Amino acid sequence: MRLPTTLRVGLLAALLAFLSSAALIGFIHWRTYDDSVDAVHQQVVEQASALDDVYSSGGRRALDKAMADTLAAGDPQLLVAIFAANGAPRIGNVGALLNPPVKLRSGYRVGRVRRRDTAATTGAAYLLRHLDDGEWLLTGRSLGERLQFQRILEGSLGLALAISVLLGLLCGLIIARYVGSRVADMADVADRIAGGDLAQRVPLSGSRDSFDGLAQQINRMLDRMAALMEELRLLTDSLAHDLRSPVGRLRARVEAALAAEDEKRRDVLLAGVLQEADSLMRILTTVLEIGRSEAMASRKQFAPLDPEGLIDELAEMYEPIAEEAGCALTVEAESGLPIFTGHRQLVAQTLSNLLDNALHYARQGREVVLFARVRDGRLRLGVADRGPGIAPADQAEARRRFGRLDSSRSTGGAGLGLALAEAVAHLHGGELELVDNAPGLRAVLVLPLAPPSPTVAVRA
Amino acid sequence: MGRKILLIEDDKETASYLVRGLGEEGHGVEHVADGRDGLFRATDGSFDLVILDRMVPGLDGLGLLKAMRAAKVETPVLILSALASVTDRIEGLESGSDDYLVKPFSFGELLARVNALLRRGEGKSAPDLRILVGDLEIEPLSRVVKRAGKVIDLKPREYRLLEYLARNEGRVVTRTMLLEQVWDYHFDPGTNVIDVHVSRLRRKLEEGFERPILHTVRGAGYRLAATA
Repeated sequence: MRLPTTLRVGLLAALLAFLSSAALIGFIHWRTYDDSVDAVHQQVVEQASALDDVYSSGGRRALDKAMADTLAAGDPQLLVAIFAANGAPRIGNVGALLNPPVKLRSGYRVGRVRRRDTAATTGAAYLLRHLDDGEWLLTGRSLGERLQFQRILEGSLGLALAISVLLGLLCGLIIARYVGSRVADMADVADRIAGGDLAQRVPLSGSRDSFDGLAQQINRMLDRMAALMEELRLLTDSLAHDLRSPVGRLRARVEAALAAEDEKRRDVLLAGVLQEADSLMRILTTVLEIGRSEAMASRKQFAPLDPEGLIDELAEMYEPIAEEAGCALTVEAESGLPIFTGHRQLVAQTLSNLLDNALHYARQGREVVLFARVRDGRLRLGVADRGPGIAPADQAEARRRFGRLDSSRSTGGAGLGLALAEAVAHLHGGELELVDNAPGLRAVLVLPLAPPSPTVAVRA
Repeated sequence: MGRKILLIEDDKETASYLVRGLGEEGHGVEHVADGRDGLFRATDGSFDLVILDRMVPGLDGLGLLKAMRAAKVETPVLILSALASVTDRIEGLESGSDDYLVKPFSFGELLARVNALLRRGEGKSAPDLRILVGDLEIEPLSRVVKRAGKVIDLKPREYRLLEYLARNEGRVVTRTMLLEQVWDYHFDPGTNVIDVHVSRLRRKLEEGFERPILHTVRGAGYRLAATA
């Protein structure tokens, strides 16, 4: 399919060249054309038909006399002559047809002739007619310089048009070949990627032209897709791996329940089975929630939210939990926080997860702070605790789905909380910040105050 | 008292489980497996509740719901769906359903929600000026709560929790129902948040009284009733 495209581009260029040249040439013709050439043609024809009449009524003798009379009238433009069958001049004021030497042939013509009287050559319009005895009668008029120029111009313009079409075709083919080869590079890459080689990238010519720009964009897109694929692969792997232990526990409890003789003991074991099943469902729902958030599918449910109301509500919800855990939960909300656009459920869920984590890891008697403030035009909603924190080296692992940290933070949960928090931050066009609280962890949702653009944000 | 329930569900196993379970609770259940039949039956208006699977063949569940509401059928609708994300649940609720339950669910959860919806459909249009549960007395307008004539001081959220429990007097109310109805949160907060709030409320209601009034129903939820 590529060759016809090249040809099409070539033909299009030729057509465009033709149209533009034709317009230009038409304009030149229109500006320079003068109907005197037509008038000369008319005169020549009239003159010839008058002599014809004389010849057919009076024969050669009358013709000679009429010619002599005409010449005697002294019109300087007038040309009349009789040639022998071999082209030798007999009478009249034209000696020879020139430029190129013209064979005698009847009909109207424009060309150069040599005058017999002055021996000068001149441009002329003339008509040749075969007489009965084999001789030729020429009647015509010499043309002025301007008329001659116009004849030349007309011829040149026609030629120019033909040349421009040819050049246009040539240029078109060259451009099409060039464009075609650049596009073919990308098509090749696409073919190879479709064939399964996802590592392929479009080569750059280094010229920084728009083709390179396009190639870079395509490469960025491919990078992003490769990253997502990798993430998906990791997720599938870890999901399959991490579901093994709850499913294993589930299975063990069912087995134990089946083997239990005592009814009360069986009930206890079956209640455990239910618990395990519920925790499996929770894991699956959270994974789904993360996926939905990453896919930006929830943005249509965005609504104006009051940050202060949001965190007050959560603080009120968690205050008794904190009390039971022996922690002090305090709220630090700046006054006059602006309304922002977001997903109430998902932001609340995220903060509730962060609070849950913080209360879990905070040491007895220490405080957990739920805060909301604006810095650099961005809303910062977060939770600060005095627990063991997360070392900078472990942060990437902490954000990963099913990412598990060794030692301190791996005691509970399926390792999805921070991954969800990060996904929700991205959904809002923001990010999740994990900062050392010296000691402890500050987990902050940093959200832009302007509503996120509807286009899917591309993260590197 | 048995009520008429229309079940629109294409999964045979779920359907027979629900028909049997709700039948044992004394409700009459009519089951259709196709969306178009479901819409046709729902619009005849003789049902007290419609249980609708979100993905039934013939007509999409949410489409069916919209068509039903457009035909001015105001029967309460409970949506059942495997679409579990918060966004899906909000979308389901915003499309005109009265409740949304994610599959798989426990029968206890479904039953509690069915009973709550049926109670709401009983036609209590005028708000109660006073709700009485045994010796507990609630005045919704002034939000004053008394037990045996003694005023009990409640925080706003505790009051809403109590009012919801009281409006479902004698019926089991699940933790997720409380979370959705009292807090309007459609996610799982993970810890025993609801339990802690309920036990605080219970302390305030029962301190200094002999008879318990806020009961825990094991494996299901809570029940506010004068008698156990």
